[in-house]
Amino acid sequence: MCGIAGFFQLPQHPGEHAATVRGMLSAIAHRGPDSTGYYVDDHCAFGTTRLSIIDINSGAQPLSDETGRYWICYNGEVYNYLELRAELEAKGRVFQTRSDTEVVLQAWIHWGEACLRKFNGGYAFAIYDRAAAELILVRDRFGKRPLFYTTGGPGFAFASEMKAFFALPDFHFEQDVDQVQSILAQWTPLPHQSGFRHIRNLPMGCWMRVTTGKVEERTYEALTLEPSSTVASEAGALDLIRERLADSVALRLRSDVEVGVYLSGGVDSAIVALLTCDRAKGRVRTFSVEFDDAKLDESKEQRLMAEYLGTQHLGVRVSHGDIATQFPAAIFHAEIPAFRSAFVPMYLLAESTRQAGIKVVLSGEGADEAFLGYDLYKETILRAEWNTAPEQVRRARLAQLYPHLGHYQPQDIAAITGLYHQFAEEKIPGLFSHELRLQNGRFSARLIRSQDDPFRAMREMVRATDGYAALTAVQKAQWLEYKTLLAGYLLSTQGERMTMAHGVENRCPFLDPAVVDAACAVNLRFDDGFTEKRLLRQAFRERLPEAIVNKRKFPYRAPDGAAFAAAPPDYLELLLSEAELSQIPYLDSRFARSLTKKVLANGASETSTKENQTFLFLLSLALLHRMFVKREGMPRRRVHSPVERVIDLRSGAAGYDSQGNFASVT
Amino acid sequence: MHQPIRAFIEEQFLIEFGDDFPEDTDLFRAGVMDSFGYVRLCRFLEQTYQFKFAEEEMTSNILVSLTRMEQFVDHKVSRGRAASG
Repeated sequence: MCGIAGFFQLPQHPGEHAATVRGMLSAIAHRGPDSTGYYVDDHCAFGTTRLSIIDINSGAQPLSDETGRYWICYNGEVYNYLELRAELEAKGRVFQTRSDTEVVLQAWIHWGEACLRKFNGGYAFAIYDRAAAELILVRDRFGKRPLFYTTGGPGFAFASEMKAFFALPDFHFEQDVDQVQSILAQWTPLPHQSGFRHIRNLPMGCWMRVTTGKVEERTYEALTLEPSSTVASEAGALDLIRERLADSVALRLRSDVEVGVYLSGGVDSAIVALLTCDRAKGRVRTFSVEFDDAKLDESKEQRLMAEYLGTQHLGVRVSHGDIATQFPAAIFHAEIPAFRSAFVPMYLLAESTRQAGIKVVLSGEGADEAFLGYDLYKETILRAEWNTAPEQVRRARLAQLYPHLGHYQPQDIAAITGLYHQFAEEKIPGLFSHELRLQNGRFSARLIRSQDDPFRAMREMVRATDGYAALTAVQKAQWLEYKTLLAGYLLSTQGERMTMAHGVENRCPFLDPAVVDAACAVNLRFDDGFTEKRLLRQAFRERLPEAIVNKRKFPYRAPDGAAFAAAPPDYLELLLSEAELSQIPYLDSRFARSLTKKVLANGASETSTKENQTFLFLLSLALLHRMFVKREGMPRRRVHSPVERVIDLRSGAAGYDSQGNFASVT
Repeated sequence: MHQPIRAFIEEQFLIEFGDDFPEDTDLFRAGVMDSFGYVRLCRFLEQTYQFKFAEEEMTSNILVSLTRMEQFVDHKVSRGRAASG
């Protein structure tokens, strides 16, 4: 796991190229503190900050084929690289290293675009073809690893994190009002959105070719929710789930360094930990976030699971003060406006994990999307049948839906009936499943002084997707979750960006294509979906403690507005001062101030979810504006990643500074 | 009689009724009403005006605007008075 960055045909003298790419890599050195390497010629420069996990000694980057025509910078892992390597060797390809990086490069050279569908992993990489003078960029199918690019200036540049663009000459960040409004209303960005003008996130499952004056983006793997085969019986379904998950975990344990597990206290990460212990040679280490607030804390279940498996466990206790103190640093790493504070504890957890000497962790993300774990799916089923279902059925369904939500009480049944009546028919084309959520998002969108439809981009995305209209209501909900909340927040802001801030790679067994395929084959085949993840629980019931396997979905959350109200940090001045707020021209400052005062004055129980979300959005927007647009107040923490490989093929290389010129390998 | 409803909505949803935001505005369409806010509003009306919503009443869009709410509360309260008188 690493960070990559580079550019193509940047309008500057080639003598400046090395310093520019070094600057870009330095800005993301936290992703790869072990070493840095880069390639530079007269037209292109790109490099890697490396976190060494596989083939630690000979896997240095950039890496080329034996002819020196193709060069690769690579971030992430293709877990099935050993099988692909064997396949390529059988076809006569010769390898110089044991690394998966070289397998990816050789696969591209041998199969071209067709190799991408063979890859099982989380990755983003760049390949430069010197002979064709073209740059290829690729991102994995679920959006595990990031890859941003900009065509804002006269040249083209890309990076794992946008902060690398600070090093580009004459580059300025500018928040994109339309995108920000869209993010606020949807909770998360769409796959291509970055929140900044002229910066695009390469969507998951896509690749691109960059040549002189031309940038082409193509999809190699569209998200499919149709299973590859059918399952005849529930017993067969349980076997399939167990088999696919065990294989997925085994693949993700391929590493030359120790692999730990994040234990959330829920059933998904418990299954991952269980299967890890099945395979591990030594005692597994597990890591968790704990809270003082009993409503949020799951340490009881975390410890129960750790004791049950005999893992060496570390619980990292996070206070309100920690969240308020660390929020600016964490949002700097996240780079995208956030609607919750729950990513901040993950930032602290990654720091402790790394301090404990662990570079790789497995976690349970992706289970709720694959096996229908969210209330959203049940809500969608219920709303779709609302106008035709008998009253007693509706009541029974509502009781199943909301037992854990303390703020809905039995006497609220009439109110909820009224609410569901409002949302029983599709109002926003294609987005029926998410309309209740989007309704709450409209409140956050009021932060922006704009009359535009905040859902325009989302509507256009689903309208332009082949096959989307034919999906069932629940499949549409799943599809949207994979494309928005999962990729746009859980895997990124709360996931990858937080672990990589401290040089920790996270791997998600539930995002193996074979696991997703199995889930699609069994979902709603043997039950009505109103006991979330029933088959997944059933598959591991006999191997997990009852308290874990029967635990209802407990959304991982952290103290939101309350964390800032308890001990207001200095930077809240960004929201409380009229002069500060007025520097963000697109904000409705009157609404922003009213909201801030209300959230800071009210206790946690008096602040609604929508108010908390909107407050967190406002705070992150203001901090991102200060750090990225104004380039002020950035975290001081800097990571040094020593430069160990330089490939300098510039025509005037002898006279240029390239810091330890490694010279040509051709 | 209706002032508490107006005040509750303005405070809960951070809006101000007036020329820019008329009382007959559909609060859902305007992006003002959220799901939990709707439930709290129902509780507030029941507690303030001492009545209970029936499920069948909730299918006639009675709470989409301030105007509709005021009309419904008037109707409920007058029916309550008639029943007790």
